[in-house]
Amino acid sequence: MNKLDHQLNTLEKEVKTKKPGLLSHVPKPREGGYDPVVEFKNVQIGYKRGNVERVIVRDLNLDIIRGEIFGLVGESGSGKTTVGRALIRVVPISKGEVLYNGVRISGKISRALSRELKQKMQMIFQDPSASLNDRANVDYIVSEGLRAFHMYKNEEDRLETVEEMMRRVGLRPEHLKRYPHEFSGGQRQRIGIARSMIIRPEFIVADEPISALDVSIRAQVLNLIKEFQKELNMTVLFIAHDLSVVKYISDRIGVIYNGNIVELTSAERLFEMPLHPYTKSLLSAVPIPDPRVESKKKIVVYHPQMHQYTSDDMPALYEIEPGHFVRANQKELKEYKEVIKKAQGGKA
Amino acid sequence: MKDKVLEVKNLSVGFLSHGRKVNVIRNVSLDVYRGETLAIVGESGSGKTVFTKTFLGMLDANGYISSGEILFNGENLAPKTKHREWKGIRGKKIATIFQDPMTSLNPLLTIGYQIAEVLKLHHGLTMKEAKEEAVTLLEKVKIPDPRARLDDYPFQYSGGMRQRVVIAIALACRPEILICDEPTTALDVTVQSQILELIKELQKEYKWTTIFITHDLGVVANVADRIAVMYGGQVVEYGTAEDIFYRPQHPYTWALLSSLPQLGTKNEPLTYIKGNPPSFVDEIIGDAFAIRNDYAMRIDHVQDPPMFKVSETHYAKTWLLDPRAPKVEKPIIIQNLRERMKKAAEELKRELGDNYE
Amino acid sequence: MGTYLIGYTAIALVVVFVIFVNLVSRRIIFKNNLKMQQIFAHPLLLYSLRRIGSALISILLAITATFFLIHLKSRGVMICKQAIGTWDKLGESIRELHCANLKARLGITDNWFLDLFRYYYKILPFPKTVCESYDVGTIVGAETIYTVTNQNCRNFILDLGTVFFLGGGHNGKFVLDLISEKMVISFKIGIIAIFVELLLGYPMGILMAKYKDGVFDKIGKTYIITIDAIPGVAYYYIWMAIFAGLGLPTMYDSSNVVTYIAPALTMGFTGMAGIALWVRRFMLEEFNSDYVKFARAKGLSENRIMYTHILRNAIVPLVRSIPAAILGALLGTFYIEKIYGIDGIGGLLVVSESQNDYFVLQGIIVVAALISIVSYLAGDIVTAMVDPRVSFTKE
Repeated sequence: MNKLDHQLNTLEKEVKTKKPGLLSHVPKPREGGYDPVVEFKNVQIGYKRGNVERVIVRDLNLDIIRGEIFGLVGESGSGKTTVGRALIRVVPISKGEVLYNGVRISGKISRALSRELKQKMQMIFQDPSASLNDRANVDYIVSEGLRAFHMYKNEEDRLETVEEMMRRVGLRPEHLKRYPHEFSGGQRQRIGIARSMIIRPEFIVADEPISALDVSIRAQVLNLIKEFQKELNMTVLFIAHDLSVVKYISDRIGVIYNGNIVELTSAERLFEMPLHPYTKSLLSAVPIPDPRVESKKKIVVYHPQMHQYTSDDMPALYEIEPGHFVRANQKELKEYKEVIKKAQGGKA
Repeated sequence: MKDKVLEVKNLSVGFLSHGRKVNVIRNVSLDVYRGETLAIVGESGSGKTVFTKTFLGMLDANGYISSGEILFNGENLAPKTKHREWKGIRGKKIATIFQDPMTSLNPLLTIGYQIAEVLKLHHGLTMKEAKEEAVTLLEKVKIPDPRARLDDYPFQYSGGMRQRVVIAIALACRPEILICDEPTTALDVTVQSQILELIKELQKEYKWTTIFITHDLGVVANVADRIAVMYGGQVVEYGTAEDIFYRPQHPYTWALLSSLPQLGTKNEPLTYIKGNPPSFVDEIIGDAFAIRNDYAMRIDHVQDPPMFKVSETHYAKTWLLDPRAPKVEKPIIIQNLRERMKKAAEELKRELGDNYE
Repeated sequence: MGTYLIGYTAIALVVVFVIFVNLVSRRIIFKNNLKMQQIFAHPLLLYSLRRIGSALISILLAITATFFLIHLKSRGVMICKQAIGTWDKLGESIRELHCANLKARLGITDNWFLDLFRYYYKILPFPKTVCESYDVGTIVGAETIYTVTNQNCRNFILDLGTVFFLGGGHNGKFVLDLISEKMVISFKIGIIAIFVELLLGYPMGILMAKYKDGVFDKIGKTYIITIDAIPGVAYYYIWMAIFAGLGLPTMYDSSNVVTYIAPALTMGFTGMAGIALWVRRFMLEEFNSDYVKFARAKGLSENRIMYTHILRNAIVPLVRSIPAAILGALLGTFYIEKIYGIDGIGGLLVVSESQNDYFVLQGIIVVAALISIVSYLAGDIVTAMVDPRVSFTKE
C-alpha cells in the first residue's frame, strides 16, 4: 500500500487505541500531599564560548507544585528567562536533570516524549510583535497547534474550536482573517495566549508576558491567564521582573539573583517577611501610586559584596520556616531567625 | 504667579494618512511652569508622544500643526517647519530622552564621540575639551570609571547604562526643558527606580523643567509635581499630583488608577478598561471616552465636554462636573484608594525597616 | 637558483611568523611582556589568521572537487583520441603505446588518488623543478615517427601544468603563464571599470537617498532600470559610433589605452547602477532608525546626520563587497570581452572548454576558486575593521 494509506492507517490506530503518553501517568502525591509537577534537580545551565564557560544558572533545586502559579522574579541577567527556556527545552542544561511528572525531560529524550511535551507544556512570550508570524493570518496562527496535534475531527470542528477560543480571549471571529500588524500589543498578546491555550496544555511558562504592554492593558492579560489556569487546571511558571504584578497573580514566589534562588516562599509571606537583602531591594523598587508615599521612599540598592561570604561559611538555600527558603550562610541564618522571632514576639 | 516656560494654546495636529486627514491632537491647551516636573499620562494611542514631538518639530513627514500656538519663553514654535529653523533649540534649550535606550545610540560610534558631538555643536569646544567635559558628565550620571568608558561602544552596555549615557548627552547642554519619553519602560524595575532617582537629582542641581511621558502611574507618583491625563488626543484632566491621585474627577483617570496591579487583591479579578483607544481615522463625536465609559451619560455621546474648574490648580473635562449632572459614586477601588495606599505604605515601612523615611 | 632562494625564504618567513604569533597569543613566550602581547595578540590579526586557515581548507576542497569533476569527463581513451590528431590512422599497438606515453606525460595514471596528490604537489606553493616535454614531431602513416623534445625545466612555485590542446599558438606554454597573461589583460579593463563604478555609484546612491522621491531620485531610478535593460551589444554599437565619429580607434589594441575606454565604461556604467541602488537602499534603511531621531533631537544639522551617522552605518554592509569586486576584475567577463574582441581570461575559459584542454580549464577554475575565497576573506576582514560589533572570539 502506498505511503498515504499507511499514514492514514497509523493515524486511525492511534486515535482508536489512544495509547497514554509517557507523561500522562500522574504520580501519586507524596507524603503530606506534596505534589510537584516539575522538579529541577541540581540544574546548571551555561554555555561554552571557545575556552570560556559561562554559567547562567547554578545548582538550581526547585519544585513547582501542581496547579499553582509560581512567580519567578529577578532582573535582566539573573537567569530567570533561561530557567523557563530550559524547561521547555529551548536551551540545553549542562548539569542535573529536570523532571515532569517524575519523568526526565532534560537532555536527550525520545521523539515521542518530546512531542508529548510540546502539547503539555506551552510558552507565552514577552514580545507580542515578534512572537507572531507576520505573514500568517490569525486563523492560521491559532490553528497551528490544533493541526500539529490533530485535535479536531474535521474542518467545521476546527473552525468552531478556533472561534470559541477567540471569543474566550476577548476577540471576535471576524478577526480571524486579519494579520498581526493590524492589532494592538495587548490584542496580539491575547492571540498568542489563544494559540497556546487551544491545545489544552497542562503547564504554561509565561515569560514576562505583560512587560511590553501598557499598564492599563496588563490587567486584561493577567485576568485571562488566571481564568485559563482555573479552567484547565494548569500549572503556571510566571517569569517577571516586577514584584507588584507577581504578588497579585502568584501563589508562591521565587526571587532569583545572578543564577541563584535567594528567597522562596508564598506570595503573602514574601511581602510580610522578606529576609534576603536582594528581596528587600526589589520591594523598595516597586512603584507605589501615591505621591506622598513615593516622595518619602528611599530605594534600597543591593550590593552582593555586602554579604562578605568567606570560604569557610558559604551560603546555601535553607528552609528557615516551613515553606520559606532563603539563601544564606550560617551567620546570616542566625540573624534571620532573630528577625522572625522578633516579629512574632511583637505580634504576640 | 509662577513663570511659564511653555504655553500651549489650542494646539491641533493632523496627519495625512492614505490621502485622508486624521486629527490626532485636538485643541489642546496646557501650561508648563518653570522648574516643575509635569507628567503626561495616557495609554498608547492617546497622542502623548505626538504632542511632545511638536515641541521639537519632530513630527513625522506627514504630520502638520493645523492650528494653535506653542509659546516657548514667548516665542511661537508652531510655525517652524524646516530643520534649520530649530537650530539653537533642539538639544540646546529643549532636550529629549527617548524610550528605547538600546537603539537611541549609534552602534558604530564610541560613547565619547557621541557625547562630544553635542558639546562641540552647542558650546563650540574642541574635541579634546569636549572629551574632558564628557568625562565630567559621565561622572554626574554615575557611570563608573568614566575616562575609560569614552572609547567603549554602546553594544557593550546594558539598557540601564545606555540610558545613563543618553541622559548625560541630554544634560550636556544644560537645557531649559528636558522631555523624557517613557525613559524607563524598557528597563527592569530596579534599574527604573535608579534612573528616576538620577533624573530627580539632576533636576534639583540643574534646575531645568522636566516633562515626563508615561503610561505608568506608579512612576508618575514618584516624580511628578503636576499631571496631565491625555485621552484620544486631548487633555482630559490636569492638576497637581495630589489632585489627581487623591481627588480624581474624570472617569478615565478613575479607570487608570483602578487598573494598577498593585491594588489587586488575590482572589478578585483586576479591573481593566474594556475596549480600545480610539483610532483617529473616523471623526470623533462627543466625548472620546464615552464608549468605554461606565459613567457615560447620553450627552457624552453627542457633545464634547468643556474643561470644568475643580480648583485653582485642578481642571477636568467631563460632563460629570456640570452642576446639572447627577451625583455619582466613584468606583469602590478609588474610594478605598487612600486606604489601600496607606496600608501598602505601612507594609513597606515595616519590611524595609530603617531604610525607609 | 635565484627564484629558489627567494621562494624558500618567503615561505619560511611566513611560516615562522604564523608560529610566532600563535606562541605569543597563547602566552607561551613573551608572556609577561605587555607590549609584545598587545601587538601580536591583536584580535584582528588572530581573526584574520584563523579565517585564512579556514580559507585554505575551502580552497583545498574546491581544488579537489574540480579535479574530480574534470577528470570524470576526460579520462581514458577520449583524451588520447583528441590529442593525437591521426588517431584513426594509427594501428592498435601503436595507439596504446602512444596513449600510454601521453598519459604519462599528462600525469594520468590508473590511480585517481595518486594523480590527485600529484596535482596537490604541483599546486603547493613551494619551489620545485618541473620538466615538461612536448612532442613536436609528426605522426606519419601507421608508423609513428615523432621526436620528443625536452622543453624548459623550470623552477616552479605553482605548477598548473602545460597547455596541450588549446591551439592558437599557445600549445607548450605553461598554464600559469598563459593565465597570468590573460588576467593582466582583463584586469586592466576591469580595474578602470571599478573605479568608475565606485566613484560615480556611491555619490549617486547618496544623493538619491538624500533627495528621495525628488528629481534626482527619479532620474536615477530611470537610469538604473534602462541601463540594465539594454544589452551590452547595443552599447558596443553606440560606443563604436561615437569613437568612429571622433576619429578614434575602434578595435581593441592592448597597447593603446584609448581603446580601453569603451569596454571599461560599458562595464562601469552598468556596475554603477547596481552600486547606487544598494547604497540608496542601505541609507534609506538607516533613515528611520532611532539613533537618527536621537541625533536630530540633539540638534545636529541634517548634513552632519547624513554623513557622520547614516552613511557611516550604511557603509558597513557595502564595503564587504569591494574586495570581491576588485579581485573579480581579474576574472574578467566573457560577454564584454567577446564583444570588444579582447583576449582576456573570460574568453580563455570558454575556449579551453570547447577544446577540451583540461589543464587550462582546471587551472582557471583553481585560480578562480582561490580568488573568490580570498575575496570573501578580505571582505570579512574589512567588515571586522569597520564594524566594532564584530567579535573576534567566535568565528
